[in-house]
Amino acid sequence: MLSYFLFFLWGHHLKIQRSISDFQMKMEEKPLSGPDNTRLEALIQDVYSELVEDACLGLCFEVHRAVKQGYFFLDETDQDSIKEFEIVDQPGVDIFGQVFNQWKNKECECPNCKRFIAASRFAPHLEKCLGMGRNSSRIANRRLATNNNISKSESDQEDNDDLNDNDWSYGAEKKAKKRRPDKNQNSPRRSKSLKHKNGDLGTSLSSDPYKQYNYNAGISYESLGPNEIRSLLTTQCGVISEHTKKMCTRSHRCPQHTDDQRRAIRLFLLGPSAPTLPDADVEGDSFDIPNGQALLSRLQWEDFPDVSPTDSASSKASTNHSDSRRPKKKKRLDLSLNSGGGGVNMTGVSSSSSSSCQSNISLSTKKKKPKTAAPSVSSIYDELN
Amino acid sequence: SLKFLPRGLSSKHFVNETYLQPHISVLTNTMNKEARLKASINQKLTETGERDRLKELLRAKLTECGWKDQMKAQCKDVIKQKGLEHVTVEDLVVEVTPKGRALVPDSVKKELLQRIRAFLTQHAS
Repeated sequence: MLSYFLFFLWGHHLKIQRSISDFQMKMEEKPLSGPDNTRLEALIQDVYSELVEDACLGLCFEVHRAVKQGYFFLDETDQDSIKEFEIVDQPGVDIFGQVFNQWKNKECECPNCKRFIAASRFAPHLEKCLGMGRNSSRIANRRLATNNNISKSESDQEDNDDLNDNDWSYGAEKKAKKRRPDKNQNSPRRSKSLKHKNGDLGTSLSSDPYKQYNYNAGISYESLGPNEIRSLLTTQCGVISEHTKKMCTRSHRCPQHTDDQRRAIRLFLLGPSAPTLPDADVEGDSFDIPNGQALLSRLQWEDFPDVSPTDSASSKASTNHSDSRRPKKKKRLDLSLNSGGGGVNMTGVSSSSSSSCQSNISLSTKKKKPKTAAPSVSSIYDELN
Repeated sequence: SLKFLPRGLSSKHFVNETYLQPHISVLTNTMNKEARLKASINQKLTETGERDRLKELLRAKLTECGWKDQMKAQCKDVIKQKGLEHVTVEDLVVEVTPKGRALVPDSVKKELLQRIRAFLTQHAS
């Protein structure tokens, strides 16, 4: 501090000397704001140099303190380190010298399944592979539910009576949930990824767990046993598509298929002794209807939709007659039985309706209940013609 | 001729009385006037806070334009020359200040002069 004071005085002394010599040169007194501004300029210069010297002095004190405290040379490194961390200015490389997309095409080995997955797909794959994450738990729950369903249907028949009702309503919820992943599975992205997969192992492993649940295309009926088919048919539409030979997995109200188709499928798959569609009496065997009244009430439920493709041509012709009277809405049903047919050998539901066939019965039903006796009704018209 | 001799002095004390007298008086007057002016300007600068503002402005500008780093390099040379343990403030000041004054960039100098001029013309008495 003392030294600073001394030098302040010394500097000031120097300034005074200088200013004296300046003033000696200009003997005249000039006003500050006069036309000749040399004094003003001189003053300005003075103020300026004072400020600059102040700044210099401040810097010197700062440096001196840093030297004495020992931190003045701290920011310096040795030459080797400087060379090592120099800024890199080459093309294709960032300033640290790292290549930009070095890890883009890297493949990582999954610790679980030991497959090689692309780096950008690694995280989702791990989610599914390890069973952690939202999607994989959803899939697992669905699988459990389906397995439970199938295993339940393989158990006692009578048990199915009660369970079917529950399953049927539950199945509707399941269908609603399943609809969304169905879309994903048939999306272009999915088919693309399957096409472009390199390893065979990859495709087989990745597609297998999901192909089982490829619900949109349906289930192949050949692989299912009769019990499974029965259980499936109680909950699903089940109509076999001509293109893919698979059963439709939508609900009974699925708009793509008619009830007639559904009935025909059931007949086809389960044989003549097939149980009726759910909601009918599940005794499933022949109905002995003593009187036409009962038949009427029973027929009220039945839908007589368009003929399914599996029907013969004759029945097609016969059912056209009834179709013409039918309102366009699928849910309505107009049943008019021609009295043409005589005794009709019935199988299944409408077995003993032969007598009542002779009478003209026009039924217009309101909103239909779930189907009954799909296959057997079409056979009425078979006989009638 | 010797009208304004100070008391106790005679003409033999002065070589050239006519020259001496006006010289001192003019000088004193001029000095006094200028000093007073200067003093008043300094006072104004300090009072309004302009001096501090100018100081900060100058410091910022000098750091920004790299003057400070240059000066630090100069200081390093001085330190290496004098030895780390024995360098004193005076060493640094004596060696570094003239260079510092010279190294101020023109733009910074011009701007500062401008501001001072503006202040002075504004507060001219």
